[in-house]
Amino acid sequence: MADVSLHSIAKSFGTAEILRDINLTVDDGEFVVFVGPSGCGKSTLLRIIAGLEPVSGGEIRIGGRRVNEMPPAERKIAMVFQSYALYPHMSVYKNMAFGLKFAKTNKAEVDRRVRQAAEILKLSALLDRKPRELSGGQRQRVAIGRAIVREPSVFLFDEPLSNLDAALRVNTRLEIAKLHRDLGATMIYVTHDQVEAMTLASKIVVLNHGRIEQVGAPLELYRHPRNLFVAGFIGSPRMNFIKGQVLGLDDTGATIAFAGAQAEVRTRLGALKAGDEVTIGVRPEHMAERAAETIALQGRIDAVERLGEASFVYMRLDGGEDVIVRAPGDEPAVPGERFTAYLSRETLYVFDAAGQAVIPTSRSML
Amino acid sequence: MKANVRPSRIAVHIALILYTILAIGPIVLILINAFKTRRAIFADPLGFPDARTFTTIGFDRVFSNSDFGLYFFNSFTVTIVSLGLIILIGAMAAWALTEYRFWGNTLLSLYLAIGIMVPIRLGSVSILQMMVELNLVNTLTALILVYVAQGLPLAILILGEFIQQIPKDLRDAARCDGVSEYRIFGSIILPLIRPAIATVAVFTMVPIWNDLWFPLILAPGDGKQTVTLGVQQFIGQYVTDWNAVLASLTLAIAPILVLYLLFSRYLVRGLTAGAVK
Amino acid sequence: MSDIAASGVPVESTAQRSRFPVHILVFLAPALVIYTAFSIYPLIDTIRLSLYAGDETGARYFVGLGNFTTLLTDPVWADQFWNALRNNLIFFAIHMVVQNGIGLGLAMLLSLPHLTGGSVYRTLLFLPTMLSVVIIGFIWQLILNPLWGIAETLLQAIGLGSLFGPWLGQESTALLTVSLISVWQFVGIPMMLIYAALINIPDDLLDAATVDGAGPFSVFWFVRLPLILPTLGVVSILTFVANFNAFDLIYAIKGALAGPNFSTDILGTFFYRTFFGYQLQMGSPTMGATVATAMLVIILIGVLIYLFGVQRRLQRHTF
Repeated sequence: MADVSLHSIAKSFGTAEILRDINLTVDDGEFVVFVGPSGCGKSTLLRIIAGLEPVSGGEIRIGGRRVNEMPPAERKIAMVFQSYALYPHMSVYKNMAFGLKFAKTNKAEVDRRVRQAAEILKLSALLDRKPRELSGGQRQRVAIGRAIVREPSVFLFDEPLSNLDAALRVNTRLEIAKLHRDLGATMIYVTHDQVEAMTLASKIVVLNHGRIEQVGAPLELYRHPRNLFVAGFIGSPRMNFIKGQVLGLDDTGATIAFAGAQAEVRTRLGALKAGDEVTIGVRPEHMAERAAETIALQGRIDAVERLGEASFVYMRLDGGEDVIVRAPGDEPAVPGERFTAYLSRETLYVFDAAGQAVIPTSRSML
Repeated sequence: MKANVRPSRIAVHIALILYTILAIGPIVLILINAFKTRRAIFADPLGFPDARTFTTIGFDRVFSNSDFGLYFFNSFTVTIVSLGLIILIGAMAAWALTEYRFWGNTLLSLYLAIGIMVPIRLGSVSILQMMVELNLVNTLTALILVYVAQGLPLAILILGEFIQQIPKDLRDAARCDGVSEYRIFGSIILPLIRPAIATVAVFTMVPIWNDLWFPLILAPGDGKQTVTLGVQQFIGQYVTDWNAVLASLTLAIAPILVLYLLFSRYLVRGLTAGAVK
Repeated sequence: MSDIAASGVPVESTAQRSRFPVHILVFLAPALVIYTAFSIYPLIDTIRLSLYAGDETGARYFVGLGNFTTLLTDPVWADQFWNALRNNLIFFAIHMVVQNGIGLGLAMLLSLPHLTGGSVYRTLLFLPTMLSVVIIGFIWQLILNPLWGIAETLLQAIGLGSLFGPWLGQESTALLTVSLISVWQFVGIPMMLIYAALINIPDDLLDAATVDGAGPFSVFWFVRLPLILPTLGVVSILTFVANFNAFDLIYAIKGALAGPNFSTDILGTFFYRTFFGYQLQMGSPTMGATVATAMLVIILIGVLIYLFGVQRRLQRHTF
């Protein structure tokens, strides 16, 4: 088992800067998920840790050792690829045993490890099959099995679920979580799907344009996004953003006008001044709470999606902004009619003109 | 890791450059010497022509002693007409074989595939007899007919694989609109296979242009020689006239060279597209 | 025609179409007619002709397999036939080893990731393949001509001047020289086909092997080579058919007599001489057909070995 630490990692292809000044520590046994839109550099970062891509600057340490110059096989890592990368001309057994051949493991030990991994992954009956004779889910498990038999200190997953259908994806997600509990190994997992990130991670790293936007536990990112990007990326449907302006300030916070309403919100002292343009953020799930001290926003319904346990109401506020409201499942909203969203002061986020959150991080949320 | 990548990359480039010199050196050698005086050809074969050694006497002799312009015209006619027919007729057959399920479909495909592996040359005895009976000896028509028959099998295979990749929805949408099968082929399929034509061209045009066998057997005289045969006959006659020999070789190479360098991107892409399996 | 179908009542026209698919016939007929008349029929007719003999008057009579007996046993014919076949096998062997070996090597180099100038190399290396075999033959004849002496000069420059000889003129070296000229010209074909197969292997697979601890040699031997075996099979059979059908190069360099002393004679040149005659011997269409049929049989044996012996065992991999 090992921890992974990255110090000032930089990577560029020619003149294109892919990663800039990445600093990160992954503790031993942690499940870290790199998440971000496509092209944000998350896969490159994983390949750098694997040793498949040289860095342009910075240092990588695995288990305390500098591994920059080390080939992948010596880094005690194993990787599961998005395409599974199974050798099409080898049986399942040989696919799993292939890596051990080069580690000079003796035959009996290879056999023991392959059969054990097959047992864990319910592949025992398929050991003689070729990859083309397997279903997508089975191939996926072989790819994981190939990683397990190497008994690595660190598992690296590169979007391993993106080629599976929705039902299988949920299943495999649970299996990977269970695998992590059972093996207790350090795992680093790349995905563009924030649901996978939220459900699997003990720590999420949000990447954008080659930089780390925020690192934290899933709920921490959900509750305290540091900036507009993270606020918009974590949560589904995404957070609503409404333009606003600071009217006045006092000792405890600011009064902000937005969408024809006014709200007093607590902010860090000195973070804003009167007249500043700001963005108000509010999650869809916090817009249908008819409690005391709510702010009512009027608008017209564009569309309603009924999911059963909830209804998503797509509305255009009278101020012109489009927002989504997560209403109860039995909400009788009808497209074309008027609708009122109810916001609570405590659930508002405020972002300054540069997109940084100005709400104090200490506040509690529902 | 980066440190040990560099030297091995340099070795790779040295190997590739050396082989490239071996591959194009002989051709360059012919091209530069074609423009030199006889004395310079022998005294300094590796030198580029300069003011003192430059001459076009070889080309003058080639043009005055043979009908090179006519040979080019013959080769050009045969190649272009054959290619056009191969593509049109081949695409029609490929379309029928990939689109419609009918009795004997597989058998027909296999029948057409024979020509990919079995060289039509082996039927030359009979082809010559047939051309004599049809009164087609020493005509370009004879060459075109044979080349079309020779080129069709591979063209049908390549075009068939290509047509298969065209989304089925496209044709079904047209059928729902009541478009006839002929018009689906003419206005939907034909325009869409344009990218495959480059591939078909590599595999059919070049062998036709370069062929010696059939011109030699079917159209060896009467001003119906192709460039390849013309050069062969010319060099046989003027073998000791180095200027003329080098000039005739240069003339034979030049059009292919120009066309290849202009279109090599498409040719190479066609070759590596994996269309031939 | 299309207008009739388009303007007619849709239901009716589809019903009509399914009853008698005229359009299928229209699409297929031109290809089938030309291909059958000028490719398949001549091949079958050639086989038929090989069973006949002709006399001076042009009359033909059936002799069964008599021509083949003559070809394989009559000293005048058999010596030439076996000589041509042996030379052809050597010609083929040299292509398999040298041409396909170099082609594989070049393809490996060209498929290296992020190779600068890759497309320039590919274009230039493939160039000789585009030119006419006849032209290539003459070019090399000039270069190797001791009169010009350029080959000797170049060899001397790298210290191998003593190796030079009139390679095309000596019985002992002519076939090897002609083979290598052909190899030089056609190395681009295996190079391109193998290159295409190599770049079709997903990068992930090679990365996975690297993570598994395989070094460059192991990646080649355990992953890339097994995956391009089907392509190597295709390259082999293409080489075989092309080699046993070759003619132009030897005719251009050495003429129909494939000298010196028939040392460069292969089946293609032997076929030509038999059919058209040379010097004092008259050409014979029926014996020509016999040689062509023998070549056909040899090529078919090669193709069948490939189809049933090789191709079936090589699983084509989709990624």
